[in-house]
Amino acid sequence: MSGLRLRLKSAPAGRLDLSCLQPDPLTARTADEVARLPFEDGTLGDLFEITAIADANTLILAGPTSACDGIGDGLASGTLVVEGDVGQYAGRFMKGGRLDIRGSAGDYLGAGMKRGLLTVAGSAGNFVGGLLPGEKFGMAGGVIRVGGDIGDRAGDRMRRGTIVVKGKTGAAAGSRMAGGTIWAEGGFGPGAGPLMRRGTLIGPKAEQMLATFSDCGEHDMVFLRLISRFVAAELGSLAPPPLPVKVRRYAGDMATIGKGELLLTG
Amino acid sequence: MTGSQKMKINGVAIDDTFAEAFGMSGTALIITADTLKWAMIAATTMTGFGTSVIGCGAECGIDCEVSASETPDGRPGVRVLVFGFSPDAILPQLKNRVGQCVLTSPGSACYNGLDSPQRLALSAGPRFFGDGWQISKRFGGRRFWRVPVMDGEFTIEDTCGVTTEAVGGGNLLILGRDRVGLLETAEAAVAAIARVPDVITPFPGGIVRSGSKVGSKYKGAIASTNNAFCPTLKGTTKTELDADTIAVLEIVIDGLTSKAVSDAMRVGLKAITDIGADKGVTRVSAGNYGGKLGQHHYHLKDYVA
Repeated sequence: MSGLRLRLKSAPAGRLDLSCLQPDPLTARTADEVARLPFEDGTLGDLFEITAIADANTLILAGPTSACDGIGDGLASGTLVVEGDVGQYAGRFMKGGRLDIRGSAGDYLGAGMKRGLLTVAGSAGNFVGGLLPGEKFGMAGGVIRVGGDIGDRAGDRMRRGTIVVKGKTGAAAGSRMAGGTIWAEGGFGPGAGPLMRRGTLIGPKAEQMLATFSDCGEHDMVFLRLISRFVAAELGSLAPPPLPVKVRRYAGDMATIGKGELLLTG
Repeated sequence: MTGSQKMKINGVAIDDTFAEAFGMSGTALIITADTLKWAMIAATTMTGFGTSVIGCGAECGIDCEVSASETPDGRPGVRVLVFGFSPDAILPQLKNRVGQCVLTSPGSACYNGLDSPQRLALSAGPRFFGDGWQISKRFGGRRFWRVPVMDGEFTIEDTCGVTTEAVGGGNLLILGRDRVGLLETAEAAVAAIARVPDVITPFPGGIVRSGSKVGSKYKGAIASTNNAFCPTLKGTTKTELDADTIAVLEIVIDGLTSKAVSDAMRVGLKAITDIGADKGVTRVSAGNYGGKLGQHHYHLKDYVA
């Protein structure tokens, strides 16, 4: 099984749903076969210039824009590399494999993700690892790493999994969070953790900390070593430096059951 | 006891017999702490009173030290092995031993130490000590519990691997005419076996001085002294001992695999014969039940080639 490179011939005029582009079924076919596959009113060949590459089970998508939605939606295996920006819902409901976005991403990046690794070189929009209206839970596993900043309400109703952000988060990160970890190297924007029940927020600072987060003091917790090692193993050179030995622990949101935590490393 | 003496190495006679061992279940844990000293204290305490599955519920011991770079949390650690009749029999032992001896030990953490698809609920007891304040964290395929305690948090992995391919009861019997020299020789053998991965010698210092036979004249006692190997009874009972034998020491070996037990038998026997007769060892034998009870037979002759 080799790989494929799909280069968008021209920027789409409107929004384009590319959720059908998955490494696993496509890379089992030749470039010509893929070009003949139906897509919207024509074929994939009408939209993309398709060439074979040596990398096994790898799909490279070149030239997409922020109008291209659903890239890597439900990705279960293989590697999907995006050379450009992506729109909404990238990596939504991912079940495995790896999605590397070498540009920036729109809203709902990795929403409802279950397994796998999702990296974004640039920034990402709102509701990273969150959920869409009508759904019960957000991210339930896997790792998301964003090289820039992320928007508001990252990890909304997140249950499990790890989000690592090199920059800072927008407002209300970890809203309604039920588990999992958000590690923001640049810190948290205003009001992190509203209605957070469980889960862990880690960063050097938090703007306008909610009054419903209670100071529990400075501690050296073994689990900090575990997450540092886990993230280093998952992300390699993209991983942040290991966490300090001690962090300041704030428990919250005490407006709910208060079993979540905000750990300040600064 | 079967067998006769046929070989002699360095002045030590090797019986043509075999150790008869039994299939068991086994698990491994890695216990870490701020220092190796405290990891070892927790491990030593947890594996205490773990000599025989008959009377102790489990056979336990320290396999090896684990360097900080190899432990899940980057702190120094100790790997311990726990053996029992079945996974179900090991579970309550883990609950009690980890709960009473590792959870309580300052700065400790407890992780799985055996890759195996079959799992035991390692945290099933200790995590509830958190009284609702325990926190679950899942990293990759591994789930950990953070239990609040008075020096911070006790971290314990949710499950540990268990194997039903373990072996208990590999053994070497060391016979001789000098009790002190015999003990020194047995200590050297135990030290050599300690370097074999995946095995323990669960008795005190790795050495047993009270080998047993099945049954007793007394009701309710399932085992009693092995009078055929008691030197002070040589004149009063059917004996397996030579005229100049004044003491017998046994090394019992449990391993996660049959190969590990076999490797331990080999290095243990070599350590004994390397010392030779100078310390008063006259003979090496092995304990068996005629080959009818245990599934694993380790013939001494296979280890002296």
